[in-house]
Amino acid sequence: MLDVSLLLTVIIMVVKVGVVAMILFGLPIPLTWLERKVAGHIQARLGPYRVGPHGVLQPIADMIKLLFKEDIVPDKADKFLFKIAPLLAMVPAFMVFVAIPIGDKWTVPYINKDVTLYISNMNVGVLYVLAIAGLGIYGVIFGGWASNSKYALLGGLRSAAQMISYEVALSFSVIGVVMMSNSLNLVEIVTSQGGGFWNWNFFYLPVGPVWFFIFMIAASAEINRIPFDLTEDEGTLSSGFHTEYSGMRFSLFMLSEYVAMVTVSVLAVVFFLGGWNPPVDLPFIPDIVLPFYGIGWFLAKVVVFIYLFMWIRFTLPRYRYDQLMTIGWKILIPICLGTILVTGFMRIYLF
Amino acid sequence: MSRTGEKIKNFIKKTVFVDFIKGLHVTLGYNLSKSITIRYPDEEKWIPYRRFRGRHTLNRTPEGRELCVACELCAKSCPTNCITVIPMEDDTGRGIADRVAKVWKVDLVRCLFCGYCEDACPTRALRLGRDYELACTDLACTGMEMQELLMPQSIPETISGGVVAKARFIRDGEKLTVEADLGKTRKMRW
Repeated sequence: MLDVSLLLTVIIMVVKVGVVAMILFGLPIPLTWLERKVAGHIQARLGPYRVGPHGVLQPIADMIKLLFKEDIVPDKADKFLFKIAPLLAMVPAFMVFVAIPIGDKWTVPYINKDVTLYISNMNVGVLYVLAIAGLGIYGVIFGGWASNSKYALLGGLRSAAQMISYEVALSFSVIGVVMMSNSLNLVEIVTSQGGGFWNWNFFYLPVGPVWFFIFMIAASAEINRIPFDLTEDEGTLSSGFHTEYSGMRFSLFMLSEYVAMVTVSVLAVVFFLGGWNPPVDLPFIPDIVLPFYGIGWFLAKVVVFIYLFMWIRFTLPRYRYDQLMTIGWKILIPICLGTILVTGFMRIYLF
Repeated sequence: MSRTGEKIKNFIKKTVFVDFIKGLHVTLGYNLSKSITIRYPDEEKWIPYRRFRGRHTLNRTPEGRELCVACELCAKSCPTNCITVIPMEDDTGRGIADRVAKVWKVDLVRCLFCGYCEDACPTRALRLGRDYELACTDLACTGMEMQELLMPQSIPETISGGVVAKARFIRDGEKLTVEADLGKTRKMRW
């Protein structure tokens, strides 16, 4: 006889994985639209406007175009690495979402079974997320190497150096968060921040904001966005590691880039802004919104961060390569170590 | 003392991201401000000022008589020789005098819209109007004959222009037109 509850667990797990994968594959559609709209409005333009109302169908038109474009593999490229590089960039970006909690519990109507709103509640969540996010660099560097083009190679090398440098600062800035919740488990990190916005890690004064800003700076370097997008510096490298890519392979790189942006926004919310916890516990919440209450707060915070990244992109110019390295090694890492020390003393002697 | 004070001030400015926040403030202001895009041709169309020099038109008197007396001054003053005028005699009251144009033709490919012909015209018959959508699919449509030029101007002289009007984009086979609704206009903010 088959165990029914085991079967149900497996089904729920498969459904959750499927839903997360579908959402992640679908994400670039609204995000490219949003990015172009934000770009347009910041430059006093309108952005895409003609395909569908306010251009909402523009990404779909772009997708169709990319699907039908010729898929060029350069003559002297390393064919195998060239073909596998976009996948190597994409898979880690998706794998990160295994550990990310987007909510606590949700009761499925009709079968009355609680479903946890995360795929896996692993005890080394923080470590897993940082490690897997660091793997994404393989796609970039293989893509740059396999293209057999100087621009792609230089872009790939730059991004390798950049991502490795900032990985250190990124991980160090999270150590304070881990100290706060005494756990590497992402769910526990979120639950330890419950009960009002003054319990969020961001408001652990005076070191909370410092962690947060270091995390944001390192994260924007990690996902190669302005002001740290030296990997695709149009002025000097045409477009960096994906210079030689076209069609669907190029769009896989774009997909992984957008998923990485979402990942970083989600991590910032989980680590510093209390995940799905509302800023103030309301005494009364209507029954209708209750199932979506936590997820709603979570999504709202993530959207704010996504907008912030786009906003910064169209505000700041790009750093020079040596400035980038100076910021990473000479400023961020010493500050990180200092805040870790201060946090340690505060945790032992204060509260 | 003052130099160290300056240094400390700059250091504090750097640590609390003053310049960064100023930059973000500027871009947020633009993000929330209204766009300056004219949504041509789908929804809007630019109505030029009166001084605009577009396609030629030949005017009539209020009674409907042709103002052109075929004096050929426009053709003489034209730097590119794109205007052809052939006069003829007509006393049926078609024109304001006995002399009217038999042929009045302009080759818009050669015309450079300098406006000398308009200046030379002694009866103010010729006017460079405000039609600027002159693109077409074959060369035949670039030569404008008298009958077309004698049609009333699409934007009458009474409208001072310099506004954006609501418009309708009409696709009729090969022919594309943008029809402006002169009643509904908005000022441009430059």
